[in-house]
Amino acid sequence: MRLGPDNGTLTVRTGKAGAASKAGHNLRMEVGSWTATLDLEARSLELSADSRSFRVIDGSGGVMPLGDEEKAAIPQTIDEEVLKGTPIEFRSTAMTVNGSHVDVEGELELAGERRPLAFALDLDGGHIKGAARIKQTEWGMKPYSALFGTLKVADEVQIEVDARSSDDG
Amino acid sequence: MVELDHTFTTGKPTDYNEAAILDLDRVIPCVEGGSVIERTSPEQAKAEIVVKMGAMSMTFRGTVDVAEHDADAHRVVLRVKSKDSGGQGYANADVAFTLNDGGGAIHTSAQISGKAASMGEGVVQTVLDALVNDFTQKLATI
Repeated sequence: MRLGPDNGTLTVRTGKAGAASKAGHNLRMEVGSWTATLDLEARSLELSADSRSFRVIDGSGGVMPLGDEEKAAIPQTIDEEVLKGTPIEFRSTAMTVNGSHVDVEGELELAGERRPLAFALDLDGGHIKGAARIKQTEWGMKPYSALFGTLKVADEVQIEVDARSSDDG
Repeated sequence: MVELDHTFTTGKPTDYNEAAILDLDRVIPCVEGGSVIERTSPEQAKAEIVVKMGAMSMTFRGTVDVAEHDADAHRVVLRVKSKDSGGQGYANADVAFTLNDGGGAIHTSAQISGKAASMGEGVVQTVLDALVNDFTQKLATI
């Protein structure tokens, strides 16, 4: 199965931390440029995403609502100060298929570091859903902070995939 | 009202420290995001501070005055009166400096209203404490 923005969404959810976390927003972002290939017979999943293609869909919480200007500024900050255009790549090393449930183990390259990552996918016909949680610090990243360090992006970030493929792979 | 106490070290003599604090063109940029818009007199400047909260920011514009100067006690009070340029809030503060040989002490009395205050007094105190801590680091090289 070939997956990408044409038949699915790759969502990144971030939270907030720190003493002034009330001032920050929980963000829901979508990756605009990504491609994945899931091959159940070969027990293989590969994903590649462009770290410069993040788009903020909405932000919840915060003292002030997140406006269009801020939504546009966040991907720029991610590009300039967080991921700096580095590639996002996942390659599976093991896969267990149990009916509609698929357990995936592999390595994720993020911010120039490669670390093991495991997550589960659920298949319903051509509908694929799954989520993975990563801790930025495990990939050597320092979570973005503002307000003199009193407002931070939470270390844990959730990545979700939701796609429909007409290809039975 | 938020009350905070800090100290700073410059390694410079008392007179140097006192002159530096009285020089608004030098001291205002030591506040992260702070800048002088216009010097209206030797004892007053129109100034602004842009407080960045990630992609968002709040801009406070107003005046900074040398409200008190006791040369014998080496004490200077800078009075900050500012309004949130994007809202109804304000941020006012009396920042009292007591200079000594090598640095000085700072007592800050601040009143914040509007969106910034809606974070709660505890959060405002934490953020202001971090802001003044950062300020003291920059004063070290003034």
